[in-house]
Amino acid sequence: MLDKKLIKKVLDAALTTNADFAEVFIEDKFATGASMLSSKIEKVANTKEFGIGIRIARGYHTVYGYTNSPKEDELVKLATDLAQSFSGESRNIEFELEEMKVGNIHNIKILPSEVSIDEKVDLLKRADKAAREYDKEISQVAVRYQDYVQKIWVANSEGTYVHDMRVRTRLGISAVGANEETKQTGFNGPGGLYGFEFYSEIINVEDEARESARVAITMLHAEECPSGKMPVVIDNGFGGVIFHEACGHSLEATSVAKDASVFSGKKGEMIASKLVTAIDDGTIPNAWGSAAYDDEGNLQKRRILIKDGVLNSYMIDKLNAKRMNDECTNSGRRESYRYAPTSRMTNTYIDNGESTFEEIIAATKYGLYAKKMGGGSVNPPTGDFNFSVSEGYMIRDGKIAEPVRGATLVGTGSEALLKVDMVANNLLTAQGMCGSSSGSIPTDVGQPTIRVSEITVGGRKGSN
Amino acid sequence: MNFDRLFKEAKARGIEDIQIYLANDNEFEIEVLKGELEKYTIASTQKLSVKGIYDSKMGNVETEIINDDMIDFIVDSIIASAKTVDSEDEVFIYKGDKEYKEVEGLFNPELDEVDAKIKIDNMLDLEKRVMGKDKRIRMVQAFYGDGSVNVLIQNSKGLKLEKLVNNGMMGVYVIASDGKDQRTAFEYTQSNNYSDFDLESIATKGAEKAVALLGAEPCDSGEYEILLSNEASASLLAPYLSMFSAEMVQRNLSLLKGKVGEVVGDSKITIVDDPFMKKSTRSGAFDDEGVATSYKELIKDGVLTGYLHNLKTAKKDNTKSTGNGFLRGIRPTNFYIKPGDLNYDEAVKVMEKGLIITDLAGTHAGANPISGDFSLQASGFLVEDGKIVRPVALITVAGNYLTMLQNVSGVCDDLKFNFRYIGSPALKIKSLVVSGK
Repeated sequence: MLDKKLIKKVLDAALTTNADFAEVFIEDKFATGASMLSSKIEKVANTKEFGIGIRIARGYHTVYGYTNSPKEDELVKLATDLAQSFSGESRNIEFELEEMKVGNIHNIKILPSEVSIDEKVDLLKRADKAAREYDKEISQVAVRYQDYVQKIWVANSEGTYVHDMRVRTRLGISAVGANEETKQTGFNGPGGLYGFEFYSEIINVEDEARESARVAITMLHAEECPSGKMPVVIDNGFGGVIFHEACGHSLEATSVAKDASVFSGKKGEMIASKLVTAIDDGTIPNAWGSAAYDDEGNLQKRRILIKDGVLNSYMIDKLNAKRMNDECTNSGRRESYRYAPTSRMTNTYIDNGESTFEEIIAATKYGLYAKKMGGGSVNPPTGDFNFSVSEGYMIRDGKIAEPVRGATLVGTGSEALLKVDMVANNLLTAQGMCGSSSGSIPTDVGQPTIRVSEITVGGRKGSN
Repeated sequence: MNFDRLFKEAKARGIEDIQIYLANDNEFEIEVLKGELEKYTIASTQKLSVKGIYDSKMGNVETEIINDDMIDFIVDSIIASAKTVDSEDEVFIYKGDKEYKEVEGLFNPELDEVDAKIKIDNMLDLEKRVMGKDKRIRMVQAFYGDGSVNVLIQNSKGLKLEKLVNNGMMGVYVIASDGKDQRTAFEYTQSNNYSDFDLESIATKGAEKAVALLGAEPCDSGEYEILLSNEASASLLAPYLSMFSAEMVQRNLSLLKGKVGEVVGDSKITIVDDPFMKKSTRSGAFDDEGVATSYKELIKDGVLTGYLHNLKTAKKDNTKSTGNGFLRGIRPTNFYIKPGDLNYDEAVKVMEKGLIITDLAGTHAGANPISGDFSLQASGFLVEDGKIVRPVALITVAGNYLTMLQNVSGVCDDLKFNFRYIGSPALKIKSLVVSGK
């Protein structure tokens, strides 16, 4: 990769004006993708990405530039051009780059490069077959396979010099159920910070495929969801997207530091029901959102965001730490060298409570049971969120009743968190892609089954 | 990279035909917050996408490292990928069309000549202007970005096409607060002519939008007559673009399958794909497969006339590619609902009881392109007897996109494009289900 001497030269060029911080991020990524549709392999492609991002800061004012060129003269020129944004004399910052090495807790057994493309494609065929055989009403199945090895190097004017290798893989299965009346879909996308062993040791491809088919068929025979305010039981696993959207984004320094979050300045305050303890943990071995280091070269860590309802910590990157006069929580992440890093989530979940799933359902006279969630979004300054329910059921008299489709939940993060009145003990995580100002990155969401005492449910059927 | 060498090497290894797509990008981006330059980004990148036919199958590879040392990797990857594909669809490398239209206004050299210092000063000024519009405005982020893309398509059948496009975007993100409620707004302009950026107009609209929603609360649940603003309508159209793709039709995943010649919307609805629009990065004389593009009305007066095709889907349907074959599949160019003659203010005036929807959130999750169903978080205004009564937020509107197109009762004259070049005028809709209080 880039020679240490060259990196040092680029950093020095970046500090020829009045800046107080310079960073070089180098990325070398090799990805393989394959897709299957109508039981045929449609496309297989290798992608080689390589680029360098240079960031220079004074205080928390930053400039960023990136290029694919590893040539010394071009990199020094980019650094020099960027440095021109800061006037004044150089601070003559002296530093040496010393490589930090830690034992990697994310053990990878089979590198994707050691596996033939035929073996990868075979997963698609197995998933397609299992989903189709689930039910004769499955009319279409789309399967995508993805793996990549992302090697990164981060060096900065504080002497940080680290290397990290992230090996990730994911299988996404979309099933479509169709009858004369409608078409409905189900999706399941397991993934992790794993090599190819993920498919033999961690998941069963056929089970995962049948799960997407099951949702499609269930929704095919569901009624339209009623609308109005009601109690909502949100199941474990991808249900954690409620916390991710309704609260997680508003706890990122990206919005908190600008005083643009509903949770700005609320550390130590009760922002959620006392049943809620929420954690963002980038150190979970082999989890989808984990890594050894963040993308600013700091060791990943575990952050207790909310403890028994009280706001304990934000997620903060290096530069926002200065702006907020708070500690950096090593939360700087980015999609690629094309983005300057900012504070982002890793694996974020609500921790286990004491109820059981059965108790929660039994305690609910009337409401919605959101077994599977789709995606959603939030507006951090208002806290207004929305997310779609991809598999839902009505709850009547403490029992799960008929399936319903087309539900969307809307609310305000701060209110919804205070209205969590039951938390089960069945924590489960699921994989997602999270988009924000530093690009699209892998994150885990998660929670045990929870109940929110009242939430606005929007469906196509009018109110009951 | 020496492409002739690549083509020769590929031929020698048994690749029948090969095509490269090379994009060189230059980007510049700034953001101003609280009177200071918050973000400044410059970039220059390139990406090479190569596809080749081996044993009648298409192989693909992409790389950002572009030099002659990569030739073996490219050829190996194409062969390995082609060997794995088992789709029986016929694939093509295109020899080119006889004629390509001269598309004007795609590149404006003056945009790059405007000094970075002027752009930064303008953003500092823009932030100040918005802050000065109303004392309830709490925070403003002013942003500007521009960039150019140089595309080269070249293949072993002798086709060589080049295009150069540039564009800029200026806008504001505004947060307003009245002490109790907080609301946000986006407002922006896109063009490759710097003099099109009207600071005062962006500032006024951005400030008005953010302040207007202060104090918004849910309205009662029920069915309402709806006036969907131009921006809200464009964001609702976006998740349904795939319905028009012949690929989705052939895979039985489009609601429009088998409906060519049939009425799919109200007669006031005409939907256009226009690759010749000026000042748009989506415009051009050819698509990524090298096929000449064309102006099309996919829905004309409510009747579906056809789908968007690339070379592969066209062959299957025994028709011609519409010039919508892009690297990531079939895509529209500049796609919009044609404006009508209804005046927006008039449309409000004749509304007895209804809702103006100005913003829809979560369209990536709450709108299903396969079933057509949507249930989305919305905000806007409650209208009674032709007058805006109060702002509304945290409600959902639900319906089905095709049913909604059939229930359009009026099309306004205020066509507006979003940053993905999907556009719409405001639409009046007979009724949608609203969930609120």
